[in-house]
Amino acid sequence: MTDQALITQFQNGESKEAAFTQLLKSHQAQVFFQIKKMVLEHADADDIAQAVWIKVWNKLDGFKQESAFSTWLFRVAYNETLNFIAQKKRLKTQSTQNELDHGLEHPASQDALKETAIQIKLERAIAELPEKQRFVFMLRYYNAFDYEKIAAITGTTVGGAKANYHQAVKKMTSMLEQA
Amino acid sequence: MSLINDMNDMNDMNDKENESISKALEEALKSFEAKTKQVSAGYFDQFELDLMQKIKAQKQTPKRAPIITLFLEHKQYLVAASLIFAIATGFLFFNNPEKNTTTIAKVELIEIETLPDELIEAYVNNNEPVAEVEWNSAIEAAGTNLISTNQ
Repeated sequence: MTDQALITQFQNGESKEAAFTQLLKSHQAQVFFQIKKMVLEHADADDIAQAVWIKVWNKLDGFKQESAFSTWLFRVAYNETLNFIAQKKRLKTQSTQNELDHGLEHPASQDALKETAIQIKLERAIAELPEKQRFVFMLRYYNAFDYEKIAAITGTTVGGAKANYHQAVKKMTSMLEQA
Repeated sequence: MSLINDMNDMNDMNDKENESISKALEEALKSFEAKTKQVSAGYFDQFELDLMQKIKAQKQTPKRAPIITLFLEHKQYLVAASLIFAIATGFLFFNNPEKNTTTIAKVELIEIETLPDELIEAYVNNNEPVAEVEWNSAIEAAGTNLISTNQ
């Protein structure tokens, strides 16, 4: 069944849960990994993804299908992720920021110790990218979304989305090249 | 139509050429993806269960919004009714003659009862000469009247 048919089924009130579950099954992994690439922490990604899908459940009745469901879904995910990051930034004190920086430089966990220096550098570079650039880059590089779709998701122009992508690549490359 | 398709293909090719990234970055991004894609077995099934539970709990929680909406829709009637009630209560309170009399009487009673003896004495002392003068004038007037009557 197509997304369109499932949405119509949901909006008509015919076995809403079944239609919603189908939509969830089709898109949840893609949305979750996009969010996780943004926030890195599994627990944070889980919280955001739950919030995204609850919002989808609450707002799907009013979705007019003027755009693809996936575009709308990623737009919800984009807004939720940015809200979460902004909230977290407000809560962070200078001392905790220093601890996090220290943690990135000297990873304590076994997995982190196994990582190569280049991977740590990349994570650091990704973390330092502005949220919009990071989101655009992940959508384009890992999900291969076209720029029209990315522009619709992030509320920018096609040119703006391309510029964001290139800026992200440039910054990450330069960070990796640094000794 | 094919011209548009060709142009789109060319745009895609240009985008891909412009998006060329260094080998080192590509390798790092591959590792990054592998790391972020690590989830426990059955994670998404559990996610679905948790989510549906939350949605069901949300449905069972009574919404307060309709009450607020109802209040907002009929706000003007509630305000008007409150005003009428306040005016009516005020009118009845201030125009009750029995209550007014009682209040005044009570006030007078309280004033007399609460007057201290010293104050009464002071009042009498201060007003005695005046009273005497008034009394004398009255006697004199009466005397004059008697004299004139006798004459």
